[in-house]
Amino acid sequence: MTTTIASLVRDRAVSLPKGVAMRHKEYGIWREYTWVDYWDEVLDAAHGLLALGVAAHDRVSVHSENRPEWLVLDLATVAVRGTTVGLYPTNPAAEVEYLVGHCGSVVHLAEDQEQLDKILAVDVPEVRTIVYVEPRGIAGHYDDPRLMSWSDFVAAGAAHRAAHPGAVEALMDQARPDDVMTLVYTSGTTGPPKGAMLTVANAEFAMRTVFEDNSFVAPAPGPKDLTLSYLPLCHVAERFFTTWFNAGAGVQTNFAESIDTVPQNLREVQPTLFFAVPRIWEKLLATARIKLDSATRGKRLFARFWLRQASSIGRTLVDNGGSHTTGTRIRYAIGWLVFFRALKTRLGLRRVRYASCGAAPIAPEVLEFFMGIGVPVHEVYGMTENSAIATANRPGRVRLGTVGEPLHGAEVRIDDQTGEILTRHPSVFAGYWRNEKATAETITADGWLHTGDVGEWVDGTHVAITDRMKDLIITAGGKNVSPSEIENALKASPFVKEAVVIGDGRRFLTALIGIELDTVGEWAQRRDLAFTTYRDLSEKPEVVALVKDLVKQVNERFAAVEQIKDFRMLPKELDHEDGELTATQKVKRSAIDASFGHLIAQMYGEKVSA
Amino acid sequence: MSTRVSGRPELYTAYGQDMAFLNTRPKQLGVLAVVVVAALLPLTVSDDLLKLLGTGLVLAIGAIGLNLLTGYAGQVSLGHAFFVGVGAYTASVMAGDPDGRAMGLGITFVPAWILGAGVVAAAAGAIVAPLATRLRGLYLAVVTLGLVIIGGYVFTEWADLSGGAQVGRDAPKPVVLGADLTVDGAYTQEQKLFWLFLVVLVVFAVLARNIGRSKIGRAFAAVRDRDVAAGVMGVELAKYKLIAFVLSSFYAGVCGSLLFVANGHFGPERFSGGYGLLLSVQFIAMVLIGGVATVSGSIMGAFLIALLPRIASELPSFLPFVTTASNEHPNVFEIEVGLYGLLIIAFLLFEPRGLFGIWHRIRTYWKSFPFSY
Repeated sequence: MTTTIASLVRDRAVSLPKGVAMRHKEYGIWREYTWVDYWDEVLDAAHGLLALGVAAHDRVSVHSENRPEWLVLDLATVAVRGTTVGLYPTNPAAEVEYLVGHCGSVVHLAEDQEQLDKILAVDVPEVRTIVYVEPRGIAGHYDDPRLMSWSDFVAAGAAHRAAHPGAVEALMDQARPDDVMTLVYTSGTTGPPKGAMLTVANAEFAMRTVFEDNSFVAPAPGPKDLTLSYLPLCHVAERFFTTWFNAGAGVQTNFAESIDTVPQNLREVQPTLFFAVPRIWEKLLATARIKLDSATRGKRLFARFWLRQASSIGRTLVDNGGSHTTGTRIRYAIGWLVFFRALKTRLGLRRVRYASCGAAPIAPEVLEFFMGIGVPVHEVYGMTENSAIATANRPGRVRLGTVGEPLHGAEVRIDDQTGEILTRHPSVFAGYWRNEKATAETITADGWLHTGDVGEWVDGTHVAITDRMKDLIITAGGKNVSPSEIENALKASPFVKEAVVIGDGRRFLTALIGIELDTVGEWAQRRDLAFTTYRDLSEKPEVVALVKDLVKQVNERFAAVEQIKDFRMLPKELDHEDGELTATQKVKRSAIDASFGHLIAQMYGEKVSA
Repeated sequence: MSTRVSGRPELYTAYGQDMAFLNTRPKQLGVLAVVVVAALLPLTVSDDLLKLLGTGLVLAIGAIGLNLLTGYAGQVSLGHAFFVGVGAYTASVMAGDPDGRAMGLGITFVPAWILGAGVVAAAAGAIVAPLATRLRGLYLAVVTLGLVIIGGYVFTEWADLSGGAQVGRDAPKPVVLGADLTVDGAYTQEQKLFWLFLVVLVVFAVLARNIGRSKIGRAFAAVRDRDVAAGVMGVELAKYKLIAFVLSSFYAGVCGSLLFVANGHFGPERFSGGYGLLLSVQFIAMVLIGGVATVSGSIMGAFLIALLPRIASELPSFLPFVTTASNEHPNVFEIEVGLYGLLIIAFLLFEPRGLFGIWHRIRTYWKSFPFSY
């Protein structure tokens, strides 16, 4: 019999009925769902899907923030051998039309009125039913025949369950390893998003690799661990960390109220396992710095002293692969008692025993800071197409600036000619949905996956990633430059939110830099610098001077050809809605060229047309 | 039903946890520590100081009562001394000797005359409340001030009750399980009374805290913050103002029943004329200095006021120009009276949230450590 995430939860409802599966904050209170509650609702939802006529291999799309219903519908879909497709809550209507139309889903879940308006505004003929979760503003205001509330959906499922007992269980028994359980659409920095098909077997291998064979952390994740779910669930990393960790390892999943409340929710939940993208780590670091700097005098001096200790402890840890020496252990123990413990509690990281960072490159300084204060952040590497399974830094064997060692059972090699990283293991995806051509370009006949990342071996054990292959800049002088390395060095400053390095085919490198409104705003306030808007603040001579200074500092660390010769301030915050960022907050270079071409032209002394 | 998640004090899985009486572990341990220290205090502190502290405990009960009315429900009252007097005389009459010079019913069971004093004072409060609830601010203050004057007159003239001016009557005798606490035995009078007062205070402080976090307490706060808005929200103003007066008077009555137990004797002049007003002002001072709308603040304020004479009497050793002789100026008695005013003004200006505010600031400093917010 095939193990799916649905059968895992079913078994857990038997072995740990009273255990907490999820917590979701409603009206200020974290409501708890036990495994029995969870499985019961999954069964109702699965029967609800059957009642709606969903057959094996049909697609069900979910357009919602992270919440229990997301997981319930995902599992229900897998239980009836369907395929779940997640959409980013920030996806605008045009992208919803493309994604829902491309996957051809028959049932669509829209979280609230906002998401419902998007799907109703577009033409998606294959969608038969639209289920909404939050009735506010919807009930009684819309008369589309496809609409159905979540409670009606579950009630219909319960009725179907009473009429056809065992129907879902029978389908679960028929599950096959090559059933496509989910389509994960890539963010599409260059072209339209592609839907990677992940099968039941892909997920099973991925979970086994992380939880059993080669656990990132000892002891392995289990029912005593708490996680915080806040990144978009349609991304493979968060799906792994939320749904698969929950189903596979039995960890207690806590849903953050929204991305903006993550700091507060972190403090409340105090997770033991924590995954974040670089942007979140940078934000946490910036928040800590600002709050420490704006503390009262006594606290500030005290914090400064211990942060100096932290950075020296961090450096030692980095040199030792993440292990303490006797000296640092004693220093950290004293610091823990009087400072680090309190700091970590306030950041919500006090109980974190394993933290990881992935999905984009991160500046080593950020990792060093967190290691110093006692939050071991491990950089991991994976991508949608290999179910996020490739390499990871493991506790005690951390090498900063690398993404770690290949995981057990995962073959990783680097192409001699192009330097591209290739992976091969049972978690490599089945292909792109309705896109044979792209599939053939990505997977070779003998099963190797082209990751599109350029990398190299460090000491023969760890992999260091240079950049995305298509992002590499070749200057007019023929030099290969990795822009992300420079961009991350710039973004390590708390004042810089976005940095886009330009120079492909040009004589020298330039950059477009966007400031972080919170930190620079605070910095300006302390200098009595009045400002109105983001643009106004960006263009203040003092702010430009501040950034110029930063650029100079960063330049000192790079060779002459890799130095930023000129820069411009971005006049607005980059935004998904405006098409400048992908749903995962990655910069779309083509959109940047189009929107800010005149700034780029200025820097290269070309005539400005616009 | 839901259990707390260990090690995560801010993760509430039910509203009950958030609103619990002592909702965090440090608070539970802190309160336990304070009670234990207070219970052990009589074994180490000298008797004369212990007597003052005992008075502080009794005054704290009255201060908590006034805080329910003034702090929680926002109704100013200068008439607290009147209700304290009603309590004092009720308790004396109930416990008094039936064959004595003044009225007496001979009920020696201690809880009976403590609660009886509270109930009669509360009834007095209920009679006054319908008048008082129609008024606000200054008018309410003046009306309640009138109570002190009427009360002073009645107590002085009703000689059967009070023993008459300059004569007075005996306070109730606290006889617990056959042992008279005012007679020295294995423990001194002061030690035994301190424990009695402590037990009563703890009971009534817990009660007040629970009232504060109940529906009644929330209604009080709504009335205080804006009575018109509270009325619009569906809080019955007349009802809750009445409850506030009744509760406050009840506490005042309990305070009055115990106030003279240590001295054993008291005269009606304690509630008439300048003294009656002074007692009312002292209660206001306890509330303002301690902290408005806090039970712990009321207790801190009561102790400070109770210890003020002692503090003033220590002054001559620090300030040589202050004398202890009452015919020279400035003397400690004048300073003591001046200090009430000075403390009230200083707290209103610089620390409006009272001693509790200072404590709160210290707590926030460490709670937010190493940040400042």
